[in-house]
Amino acid sequence: MADDAAGQDKRKQHRARQSGVKADKKKVKAKKESNQKEPELTARQRNPKAFAINSAQRAERNFRRKEDLTAKKQHIPVVDQTPDEPPPVLIAVVGPPKVGKTTLIKDLIKTFTRTNVSEIKGPITIVTSKKRRITLLECNNDINSMIDVAKCADLVLLLCDASYGFEMEIFEFLNICQVHGMPKIMGVLTHLDMIKNTKQLRKRKKELKHRFWTEVYDGAKLFYLSGLLHGEYLRNEIKNLGRFISVMKFRPLQWRGAHSYLLVDRVEDVTNTDTVRRNPKCDREVVLYGYVRGVPLKQEHMVHIAGLGDARIDELSVIPDPCPLPGTEKKRSLLEKERLLYAPMSGVGGIVYDKDAVYIELQGSHSHKEQTAEATEQAALVSKLIEKKATMDEQMEEQQFRLFSDAAPIKSKDFKSDVEDEEDEEAADDSGLDAASSDDEDDNEFAANDWRGENSDEDEDQQQSEQSDASSGDEEYQQLGTAGSDEEDEDDEQSRLLANNMNWKSNLAQKARDAFLQRHSESRNLMRLVYGVYNQSERNKQEQLEKEQDDESDEELGGLFRVAAKQQTELQKDKDIRDKEERCFFEYQGGVTRDWLSEDNKQLIKNCFVTGKWKASEDAENLLKLDDMSDADSEVYGDFEDLETGEQHSGKPKDEAAASEDADDAPTAGEKRKMTRVEEENLTKKELMAKKLKLKAKFDAEYDNHGEKGDEDGGRITGDHSFYEDLKAEAQKQSELNKSEFAQLDNELRIQIEGYRAGLYVRLGFKTMPAEFVENFDASYPVLVGALNMTEENVGYVNCKVKKHRWYKKILKTGDPLIVSMGWRRFQTVAIYAKVEDNFRQRYLKYTPNHVTCSMTFWGPITPQNTGFLALQTVRHDQEEMKRLGFRIAATGCVSELDKSSQIMKKLKLVGHPFKIYKNTAYVKDMFHSSLEVAKFEGAKIKTVSGIRGQIKKAHHTPEGSYRATFEDKIVLSDIVFCRTWFRVEVPRFYAPITTLLLPADQKSQWQGMKTLGQLKRERALQNEAQPDSMYTEIVRKPKIFRPLVIPKALQRALPYKDKPKLGPENPREALERVAVVESPYEQKVAKMMKMIETNYKDKRNRDRKETQQRMKKFRAQKRADEASKQQHQKQLRKKVSRAISKMRGKNDK
Amino acid sequence: MPPVAQEGNCLIYRGSNFLKQRLVLSCLSGKPVKITQIRAEDEGAPGLREYEISLIRLLDKLTNGTKIELNPAGTSVMFSPGLLHGGHLEHDCCVQRGIGYYLDALIALGPFCKMPLKCQLRGVTNSNDSPSVDHVKGAALSLLKRYLLVDEGLELRVVRRGVAPLGGGEVLFTCPVRKSLRAIQLQEPGMVKRIRGTVYACKVSPAMANRTVESAKGCMLKFLPDVYIYTDQNRGKMSGNSPGFGICLLAETTDGVCFAADCISNTREESDTPSIPEDLGREAAMRLLDEIYRGGCCDSAYQWLAALFMALGQKHVSKFLTGALSTYTVHFLQHLRDFFSVTFKLENPEIDEDDEDDVRGAQKVLMTCVGIGYTNVSKRVL
Repeated sequence: MADDAAGQDKRKQHRARQSGVKADKKKVKAKKESNQKEPELTARQRNPKAFAINSAQRAERNFRRKEDLTAKKQHIPVVDQTPDEPPPVLIAVVGPPKVGKTTLIKDLIKTFTRTNVSEIKGPITIVTSKKRRITLLECNNDINSMIDVAKCADLVLLLCDASYGFEMEIFEFLNICQVHGMPKIMGVLTHLDMIKNTKQLRKRKKELKHRFWTEVYDGAKLFYLSGLLHGEYLRNEIKNLGRFISVMKFRPLQWRGAHSYLLVDRVEDVTNTDTVRRNPKCDREVVLYGYVRGVPLKQEHMVHIAGLGDARIDELSVIPDPCPLPGTEKKRSLLEKERLLYAPMSGVGGIVYDKDAVYIELQGSHSHKEQTAEATEQAALVSKLIEKKATMDEQMEEQQFRLFSDAAPIKSKDFKSDVEDEEDEEAADDSGLDAASSDDEDDNEFAANDWRGENSDEDEDQQQSEQSDASSGDEEYQQLGTAGSDEEDEDDEQSRLLANNMNWKSNLAQKARDAFLQRHSESRNLMRLVYGVYNQSERNKQEQLEKEQDDESDEELGGLFRVAAKQQTELQKDKDIRDKEERCFFEYQGGVTRDWLSEDNKQLIKNCFVTGKWKASEDAENLLKLDDMSDADSEVYGDFEDLETGEQHSGKPKDEAAASEDADDAPTAGEKRKMTRVEEENLTKKELMAKKLKLKAKFDAEYDNHGEKGDEDGGRITGDHSFYEDLKAEAQKQSELNKSEFAQLDNELRIQIEGYRAGLYVRLGFKTMPAEFVENFDASYPVLVGALNMTEENVGYVNCKVKKHRWYKKILKTGDPLIVSMGWRRFQTVAIYAKVEDNFRQRYLKYTPNHVTCSMTFWGPITPQNTGFLALQTVRHDQEEMKRLGFRIAATGCVSELDKSSQIMKKLKLVGHPFKIYKNTAYVKDMFHSSLEVAKFEGAKIKTVSGIRGQIKKAHHTPEGSYRATFEDKIVLSDIVFCRTWFRVEVPRFYAPITTLLLPADQKSQWQGMKTLGQLKRERALQNEAQPDSMYTEIVRKPKIFRPLVIPKALQRALPYKDKPKLGPENPREALERVAVVESPYEQKVAKMMKMIETNYKDKRNRDRKETQQRMKKFRAQKRADEASKQQHQKQLRKKVSRAISKMRGKNDK
Repeated sequence: MPPVAQEGNCLIYRGSNFLKQRLVLSCLSGKPVKITQIRAEDEGAPGLREYEISLIRLLDKLTNGTKIELNPAGTSVMFSPGLLHGGHLEHDCCVQRGIGYYLDALIALGPFCKMPLKCQLRGVTNSNDSPSVDHVKGAALSLLKRYLLVDEGLELRVVRRGVAPLGGGEVLFTCPVRKSLRAIQLQEPGMVKRIRGTVYACKVSPAMANRTVESAKGCMLKFLPDVYIYTDQNRGKMSGNSPGFGICLLAETTDGVCFAADCISNTREESDTPSIPEDLGREAAMRLLDEIYRGGCCDSAYQWLAALFMALGQKHVSKFLTGALSTYTVHFLQHLRDFFSVTFKLENPEIDEDDEDDVRGAQKVLMTCVGIGYTNVSKRVL
């Protein structure tokens, strides 16, 4: 932003303070530093005793606490995927209407590029600094747009009218963001000038800030735009905002780290105008443009266009960046012409692309100058396009023409020309050889011969089995395919050999370059062998060629015989491998393996074993030697000489041995010796390298971890975080590898392997797009194209965890249509809610519970687990509806499982009635309809209302559907028998993507999908007939008549008397009839006698009682008298004693 | 060979070749595949073979929601895959092919199932046309381990051996599930440090096994002192249904790479002359040496597995050094491109000029690719 200031007046130099607190502090500091050159000691170092460990327990606790804190800070390291040239940062300006979004965008553009933009439509890309571009996007008030914007924005400027406060849209948007991976959010308060009172203003700011913090996070940046000046925000404030934007860092988000996407900034309809004229509703060919974001994009993957549906990319190509970053010259600020602005949908950038016309707008001379470069480029593109719009016939003619006049390019494509190509290559190699080695040609040729000789020897060795390099491994594959291709392969081989020769003998720089080229071509050959024509452009050309051939009658043309032959060979190839048995082994030709025990063969694999020769970098002996060296020596080169001679000594005998083995081939041996000498030099070089590395490692080990060690010495105990550090380092390494691995490749191959990486400006062609997309295109609705990963284009049952939003007023009903935004998609589906029970059974719920998560299953696109989603009941923008609902987000959650079948269960109680009861067996009817049904339930547990458990045994013939059951006790006829079962609930297979982009402009916010039953009934004023069962009626109960209790006789007999039923008088109320008793004289006598005795006895008893009473009275009186005398006596005694004691005390006192 | 046509998502192929590759990749990618003209020209026995149908059955058991349509002649099959389910499976493999044929598919699919796979396979454990169970255990599982990181729950147990033609063997394969695979860089094959092996004999004299061991060991000892070959003599119920013997050698390098080679005796149908144990041992040793010569970071029979896991890895660069590519791998790479649109960068790695004299075996191939970021969509998260 330094450049912004450059436009203003000359800057004043900074003058350091000469007096005051700050200056004093600085002086003191400077003095201190000059006094004491050593680094300042920490408190711990100055006073180690104070930090000594006194209590092991406390030390342990402290340590643990510290470790807890560090562990809390750690996050799983994520591999950074931002490319070297990242796409423009996508900044979305969001807020309710009339809050100042367009003004803000205009002002931002003006500060960055000094251009006035009249109309903001669609994304606008501008270059803001040497390293950063931004795309500004305005989000309208439709919830569909808000969702799409939240999915793709890197930074959201959330505008809020401070005089009004936060509106519901803002809270909705924040919730949408949270679900789809939180982008960076910066609040911007506008309309602050509406509040006149400063105190109130301050209060308002604080209030809003805190409310904002609770929603986003504590300390989230809230920016204040204090007011308008000439219809613009204050320049300083906008500049500050710009600075904030241009230094902002972004953290990777999970969904976007796994998917590529692009925000379309230009749309073109390239359908043949004639077809459109004939049928205005025909499917259109549409071309979309945009920067690839996220991960690399691949053509073969399906994409989802939000608000339209899934589509397959028909054509994908990179086009030059319309808004490139400036070059890498060392300047601090941007040049005027580097401040580019690219806004194809708005009225800037010079060109407006309409449906079928291109308008070029000429503003001032300034803006014209600015656009020249891109304008010409775009003009070229446009002209190309216009060219393309020629009729089909013309195109055909043109293609034909090309075919005839320009035979060479066609030739180069077909099969035979490959050979020619390679021959060409060979020739080129030859020429290269000549040119490179004209100084010592003789030597070269000699060497080449030898080299070739050796190689051909080897070839002979290996002719039975596969050859020494990979391409020859493929040769075997080729041979399977076609015999004809053999030759060509050999040619290829030879050319490579030749190339090898050349490489060996030319000078070093040349060698390195050639080696690179050769390796490149080699690997290309390898890839060609595997993938055939793997290049995109080549493939396209070939396809085109084939198409042409199909169009023509090929017999007539002489030039096409070759093509036919090629087709023939392909057919042959196809036939040869068709129905081939599938074996994963490496195929031996002729089924014979090489004899590895023979001496020359043995040499080939000797070094594959630990007993063979180790590489210099891993040989233990070597390493030891290096170790000693690095320990002992100070001068590297002195030892180096020594080492070399030592090496030579050890090297020579080996060579001689080799020579003796190959005694017949003396010159070769000599050559070999020479070569090894050269290599020894290299080897020592390599060793030197290894040694240096080792020394460096040692140095690193000593000095890099010095700080930690020092701390340890100081007595502080640090934890072991090596695991985390390793993970971090690994992620870092991977990120570097990702960046560097393909950086050297040419762009086409790189795209082939890697895909269209983020930051490229691409052109996506789609073949069959609905006509409405083009006709009803509205630039204020963002077009988001999101790539789908493997299996994500399929549909299945999606099971999620879901929670009704606490601000949503209603609860959600099972089976009601619901609009879900998940992944890139927005769609309507029918959800079934369930509760996961302890045994993982999903039990059907009729409604979502309040404040608790529940499980939800619906039929929808397969989306990876843990993807967040949100549910809405409607996306219509209806003021009344909004007022009624208040908050539109009905539920949020995340995906937990995907399957092709659902397991939601509903409890079902089958009820039956016994109709015949034997002891523990009963026959039950009314539970099933047929004996087949019964057969399915044999062995099922049943239960009566009274709690007697039982089991279904077998079906019974009459009535149909009845069965025999056994119970643990005898049941009664009036019992009801239950069978508890679980019934699977089918999830409706309804999935309808929302197609808001297809609707006409006035209906865009009125998308209406399937309606709920309630809605339909309300609309049509239908009411359910209440079920008679559900009606409230008066309950009439008959008095229950119980049968008299009958106790069996045997039981009666066994009962104790008191429980026995008593056989009382029949009529207890009637007085008993007296019966006259006439006694016999004897009986009279006995009775008289008895009476007398009784009287006697009674009299005696009375007398005794009286006597006893008197005796008792006397005894008690006696006892009382005794007691009294005893008391008297004791009293006197006490008196006596007391007197004696008092006397004694009196004596003592004296 | 590329697909003949593509209808929406569905890939259409012609001919029965590489049926397994296509079905396995179809299961992983979720793309339906249609294969037509299966042995249409074979008048005697057109259509799918029994073992192929058995494979389709196994895949059906392994997945949930798979739809298979065969035409009456069996010359055309439409396979639209469901989601991988896994769990406890039992399968009677057709004896026309070895269990290795089926195991390959399970190894490729196992890590991406909903539930950890526990599969009991019955059939021919050792045969000529597919890797024997020892081979799979040695070479494929060691490779799989590298991608799974933790090998808990990964096991291949040979319960019973049964050689061709009647089989009767049984293996138990368990495999854990993973959410995603890491991108790894394997470029150092290391040097062979030890050689192990198994010689098995079923319903034949134990002397056969010992003679085989002797000759194989004799060959290998010329290269390395650390050679140990186990003998596995089976009798009665444990020996399957038909007689035979064979050998599987395993070479392990300092960096944990395993190479394996198989050799098995002739069955009665194959030739009249019975195999000589000494020849068998020597042949196996030669094959192992061939394998060592080819080198790379995996066994040549499982290059495809390495390529598959590379392609399915996270969206990062992974590298793998292999020996010369086999035909099977070449076709597999083509299929990977069809199904996952992954193109590998293949190149012959630069040989250090210094190491020119101590070449370690054949020219290697360095495969480089960017994974597609495949995640296991079937697994349940709580």
